[in-house]
Amino acid sequence: MTEDQPPPPVEVEAKPPEAIPPEPFHGLSATGLSRSFGQVHAVVDMTLHAPAGQVTALIGPNGAGKTTLLLMLASLLAPDTGAISIMGIDPVKNPSAARAKIGWMPDTLGVWEALTAREILTTMGRFYHLPKSTIASRVTELLERVNLSALADQKARVLSRGQQQRLSLARALLHDPQVLLLDEPASGLDPGSRVALRSILRGLAAEGKAIVVSSHVLAELDEIADGAVFVNQGRTVLLQSVEQAVAQGRKYSIAALDAPALSAALASLGVDFVPGFGRRDAVVVTVGSEILAANLLRELITAGVPVSDFGPATGALEETYLSMEVEQP
Amino acid sequence: MTTLHDEQAHENQQSPTVDPKGVPGKAGRYLEGITAVIGMELRQRLRSRGWYIMLGIWFALIWLVTALVWMSWKAQSGYNFDPGFGRVSPGPLIFEAVCAFVLLFGLLVAPAFSANAISGDRSAGTLAIMQVTLLRPGQLLWGKFLASWVVSLAFLVVSVPFLIFGIAQGGLGVGYILVALLMLALELGVVCALGVGISALANRPLFSIVVTYLTVAVLTFGTLIAFALGAAVSNGTVEANQPFYKGMEMYPDEQAPAQDTEIYPPVPLPTDVTDQNDEYACYGPLQPQSVSRTERVAWLLAMNPFVVVADAIPYPARTTQEQSYGVNGVFENISQGARYAQAGPDATFQCAGGKVTASRFDQQVPLWPLGLGLQLLVAAAILALGWRALRTPAGKLPKGTRVA
Repeated sequence: MTEDQPPPPVEVEAKPPEAIPPEPFHGLSATGLSRSFGQVHAVVDMTLHAPAGQVTALIGPNGAGKTTLLLMLASLLAPDTGAISIMGIDPVKNPSAARAKIGWMPDTLGVWEALTAREILTTMGRFYHLPKSTIASRVTELLERVNLSALADQKARVLSRGQQQRLSLARALLHDPQVLLLDEPASGLDPGSRVALRSILRGLAAEGKAIVVSSHVLAELDEIADGAVFVNQGRTVLLQSVEQAVAQGRKYSIAALDAPALSAALASLGVDFVPGFGRRDAVVVTVGSEILAANLLRELITAGVPVSDFGPATGALEETYLSMEVEQP
Repeated sequence: MTTLHDEQAHENQQSPTVDPKGVPGKAGRYLEGITAVIGMELRQRLRSRGWYIMLGIWFALIWLVTALVWMSWKAQSGYNFDPGFGRVSPGPLIFEAVCAFVLLFGLLVAPAFSANAISGDRSAGTLAIMQVTLLRPGQLLWGKFLASWVVSLAFLVVSVPFLIFGIAQGGLGVGYILVALLMLALELGVVCALGVGISALANRPLFSIVVTYLTVAVLTFGTLIAFALGAAVSNGTVEANQPFYKGMEMYPDEQAPAQDTEIYPPVPLPTDVTDQNDEYACYGPLQPQSVSRTERVAWLLAMNPFVVVADAIPYPARTTQEQSYGVNGVFENISQGARYAQAGPDATFQCAGGKVTASRFDQQVPLWPLGLGLQLLVAAAILALGWRALRTPAGKLPKGTRVA
């Protein structure tokens, strides 16, 4: 039955995103998900909303249940309880229709080592029932997008980890999915590729796709994510937008050419400070908001302290993450 | 190709001129997925050097077997006298030896190509990637199964020259070789289906390969052992009277051979003969005789791949004289032995029911359809279990499984 359903991605592209069902929430949503494996309760109670057009970060310590959650969202695992809606489609009831809209990039590098990058993508195109005439051009386009054109006809075996990771991203994007689920997409990427990944993801979000990214590189998520879902021990512990994270108090690192003068000035301003943990002679202060940080900098300058460095000591999301004091086994 | 056509011709435009192969929709898409899997599998196989090395070893081994059989026949034929009914060519001998070895090696090689088909993808993390596409579990299984079958059929193709050499030595028809090849191909298919099904159930390639080999061993040796044990415990009785052999040179009821004057006179037949043929007669009252009811366990024997292949080959009718000279080859003996077991004591015990029974080499009811049917049933059941294990979103997972 469901075989009739999957609309060719070309059609999906033609439709404006608003034309798909008039749902109260447009994007990917999951409420009250739980899933256990025998005695292990991998996911106890997770709720996640990833609106279309935004990048949602999924943050949590190792073993928090992130991958299990993504597997459920990707229609590979059935949740024990809870409901998932992929652009209005329930992947448990109608996996084929949901899969046509899902692009999933696992944290394991699944590549067929004996096949070339181009062959892998072409085969995937056939698995997604893309029109045969368009597969070749679509594959070439994606290989260019992830900067693998030069290696397109090399066996996947010879690709480096980062290159395989990019191939995996291209595979997830092949059928132009509306929802992207990326499990640690940045791991193993060189700085240039990270920047490219960031711009690819922002570009896709601008096209109206819902994107969920799990990552440990929190500083990077500050740059690409619009919102974050913090999970720990199988539960959603916090939903936060990056704006909220930025607005909350966070640590700033301050360095000056004259360290004693800086200490004296901070003491006279009544600001608590601790020595920094970096290499340089810096101090760390906790500041309530960005406005307060600007005020502090102005006052230090006014006091004649030769400030050479003034900036957030941690990323906004990292600050939240560390303040959660999650258990790190 | 046809699929290009699929995309252009929508379901509502069913013009009668459309090539029936190009019918769009469910079936076409289903096949398209299967061919994509087959293409992917074959491409990987053809690039692995191990496959060519195995083909080379295979070729060398079959060549060796053929050469040895031919040489041994040459050596023997020096002593053999011509019994006078045309058994002068080594054709059937070579053919049967090659057939048996092809089957033996095939049973050993086919699991290597099928039993890691899905568990290998699972451990490489590529299975989930296929499952998350629009590919259905059935397409995956069919594709993997057909690809591994095609790969093992390549081994059969390599051995064709030797089978043809056997034919060229005379004594065999072309139909003979075609049937044999067909049955060998089917048996390889059964093993491939078993391997793919088991690999869908297993987590690790090593485990599924070992289990597949064990399954093949059960089919090859286990069936023999089970049949022997089963026959030993399937005791029963059959009502039979006494056989009386004509032309016997000793008659047990006389005390001593007669005087020199009368050398071996024809033995008088007993008076109460119930049935007779040229060879012997049945006489006397029916009495219960304890027998082994082999027909109850013959199905075990039937599942043996060698029995299936041997039994499916049509053999020429043999005369009693030919039989006594042992003209028939190994396969023919296997076939007749299995049919004998299937017929059971009612048909084979001498003078059962007071009737003359057919000789061992006259059993006409074939056993192979039962055996092949049972094999297909087992393979289908394992594939069905494998299909269940491949369905996503996955409900229950076996312990220690990681989806990706």
